[in-house]
Amino acid sequence: MMKRKDIFLGNGAVALGLVEAGCQIVTSYPGTPSSEILPEVVRLVKSEGLNTYIEWSTNEKVALDNAFAAAISGKRAACCMKQVGLNVAADSLMSAAYLGTVGGLVIVSCDDPGPHSSQTEQDTRLMARLAKVPVLDPSNPKEARVMARLAMELSEEFRIPVILRPAIRVCHARQALSWGPLKNNTKKASFEKDPARWAATPRFRFILHGELNEKLKKIARRFEGLTAHNFHDLEPGKKYPLGIIAGGIPYSVVRDILTEEDRKDIPVLKIGTPYPFPEALADIFMSACEKVLVLEETDTVMEYFLRDRKKVLGRLSGHVPSEGELAPQVVYRLVDKVLKDLGLAPFKGDRNQDALDLVASLDLPVRRPTLCAGCPHRASFFAIRKARPKAIFTSDIGCYTLGLNLGGVDTCLDMGAAITMASGFYHAFNQDQVAQPIVATIGDSTFFHSGTAGLLNAVYNDARFILVILDNEITAMTGMQPTPGLGIRADGSKGKAISLERVVAGCGVDFVEVVDPYEIKAMTKLLKKATEYVNSSTGGIAVIIARHPCVIAYPKEAIPERKSVTVTDDCTECNFCLERFECPALYHDEELGRTNINQSLCTQCGVCLQICPKGAIVEA
Amino acid sequence: MQTVNIVLSGLGGQGILFMTKVMAQAALNKGLKTMGAETHGMAQRGGSVISHLRLGEVEGSLVRTGSAHFLLALEENEAYRNIPFLAKGGRLYANASPKSFVRQEVKPYLDKMEIVYRAIPAGKIATDLGTPMSSNLALLGFFSAFEKNLVTHKELRNAIDQVTPSRFKKINFKVFDAGFEMGTQ
Ligand code: SF4
Ligand code: SF4
Repeated sequence: MMKRKDIFLGNGAVALGLVEAGCQIVTSYPGTPSSEILPEVVRLVKSEGLNTYIEWSTNEKVALDNAFAAAISGKRAACCMKQVGLNVAADSLMSAAYLGTVGGLVIVSCDDPGPHSSQTEQDTRLMARLAKVPVLDPSNPKEARVMARLAMELSEEFRIPVILRPAIRVCHARQALSWGPLKNNTKKASFEKDPARWAATPRFRFILHGELNEKLKKIARRFEGLTAHNFHDLEPGKKYPLGIIAGGIPYSVVRDILTEEDRKDIPVLKIGTPYPFPEALADIFMSACEKVLVLEETDTVMEYFLRDRKKVLGRLSGHVPSEGELAPQVVYRLVDKVLKDLGLAPFKGDRNQDALDLVASLDLPVRRPTLCAGCPHRASFFAIRKARPKAIFTSDIGCYTLGLNLGGVDTCLDMGAAITMASGFYHAFNQDQVAQPIVATIGDSTFFHSGTAGLLNAVYNDARFILVILDNEITAMTGMQPTPGLGIRADGSKGKAISLERVVAGCGVDFVEVVDPYEIKAMTKLLKKATEYVNSSTGGIAVIIARHPCVIAYPKEAIPERKSVTVTDDCTECNFCLERFECPALYHDEELGRTNINQSLCTQCGVCLQICPKGAIVEA
Repeated sequence: MQTVNIVLSGLGGQGILFMTKVMAQAALNKGLKTMGAETHGMAQRGGSVISHLRLGEVEGSLVRTGSAHFLLALEENEAYRNIPFLAKGGRLYANASPKSFVRQEVKPYLDKMEIVYRAIPAGKIATDLGTPMSSNLALLGFFSAFEKNLVTHKELRNAIDQVTPSRFKKINFKVFDAGFEMGTQ
């Protein structure tokens, strides 16, 4: 068969590299910017008829443990997640580094400088350093694909988990790649019992730590000569007033800028393997340059490894911003400033300040993200605020974090914290004999990810609050992945559906009721009933499952009966609906002097028919 | 070939990703090297969304401010917001009313920078054809009426054919052609 050329998303390039490396097991939990890797593996596996095992795991730790077991039975395995997902899997990662592997184990952890869609800008390379495992840092999709293969080979050769860290601008870049027929890896599973290793006690762990350190030394030596990913453009014998050391996206950004500006006088050392750091290579580069500027995202890693501190410019010296993305214009300005500070020829200059000032003067409305028109979460939040206006609203991570806009979200810490923080708040207030109402909201997928441990704990320790599980039967925010509740697996095949009701009851909760949030009255009534239960001496935690399909994933099922809606002149411009319901299809019409409906955005869900205090929103 | 930088902007849900896909596919078909960058995640829920597309020999996927040759905007305010991306002599295509586009305050800057701007009521065209979510195709069609040197109407049409699921093909072509016709008038 012939090679073909197709445009791949960066995450597709990672998927391609993994499949090319003969990866037999791929596990993942979705999270931006990593979510498309597993679906891209599925796509390749289906189109090429491979037998790769693929799963959406319930969380990142579960995903990594699963992949690890496959890897120590000699298979090639990978596990994909976003950077904060690696926090969840950290327990597994730290230990797996000591134990080592038999087959290859690649952990893909995608970073989000910006951040665009995450709680933090944390840098996976630091996690790699902490766990003492090698990390590869690609600068574009093409390199990500090659590095995925390399990571697998290194892992198997040195028997160590290897991290691939593509940043969001690699994950969501598009690039054309040639690719050819893909083959199955037919390696069979075989597990050799060795309790001293696979179930090592602390005494053996000390020995394993020594082994790990030895592996890292060898890998560092390998990285010194890895010219495909670690290279510079020094001319032999020449001295330079300034050089740049860069990796990942900042490398591709600065490379383009130097090319555009025609600056051959500034050499660049590109590092694709920030840990273990190729120190000898960096030394050669450093000794040819008087000063060296380090460009890396998002934290300080390489900068710390450069020993001649007097020469180094970077975050520690204040030349590089310590937060935010190193976007091309940011890099352009900061390098330009360094050039000027060092008395070197500056860049040709960008005439952009005018345009930025102009845009600032226009006072453009900031378009904050919002729940979709017809979203069942909007109805839930509206009912919750109506029934329990004085409550503390703990919430969680997903589309429904946007319940912020409706005043229905007060906290968002990490996956599962809606429940754990609700019990924390309860005990903090209860200690002072204050009966503080608390309503927690969590999505179905997030509940399966990290809800149960917190719920068990809350029940066991007799906390009192209402928990609303927003069950839209999908992992929506990250691009519509199935949840365990649905019983559909990553490749579309049938799995066993897990009943939320039974899980909740199994956590010891005696009040579990299901409601359709589109029925705002029924939901409000149920919330009142739940409040009574929470407050009664024989009560406990009340769980309401607000079940209604996501309107994007299931447009037909979500709105079986479309209702054409209009606003009458009874509208008094109180703006209650705009502030408290905030459907993107509702807007204030200056000309009409009332609320109006943008019919091209309206999904005709009809939920707003239930909310106007003046009865001005009616069926057309 | 010199690098061509394109910025596509709009709001989450307007189909920016699809537009980027079509343009990238068309460029690939012509044998051009392409690099693109997209927005996924939280912002797709109605926030400002932006795609970068670069054709030619480049390492990075992001367009630097002041260096875009083309800006395509599916919403008027998003057009203004992203003006800083445009280079001198760049071209701006927006889904907006041709009568009121551009705002007076913006005109002097565009003139000074020799930026050509054109507006098409893409949203209205798409809605009139019964598919309000397809303003992206109307804008693309309109664009193709002017920028033949970059990519012809026919080349874009072929790319749409390649990346559209079959059940949407007919309607996508209809909106795309309507945009094109408005541009050729
Ligand atoms: S439609 Fe009803 S809620 Fe909305 S502004 Fe008018 S009167 Fe107030
Ligand atoms: S019917 Fe009402 S709530 Fe539903 S999408 Fe239309 S305006 Fe929004």
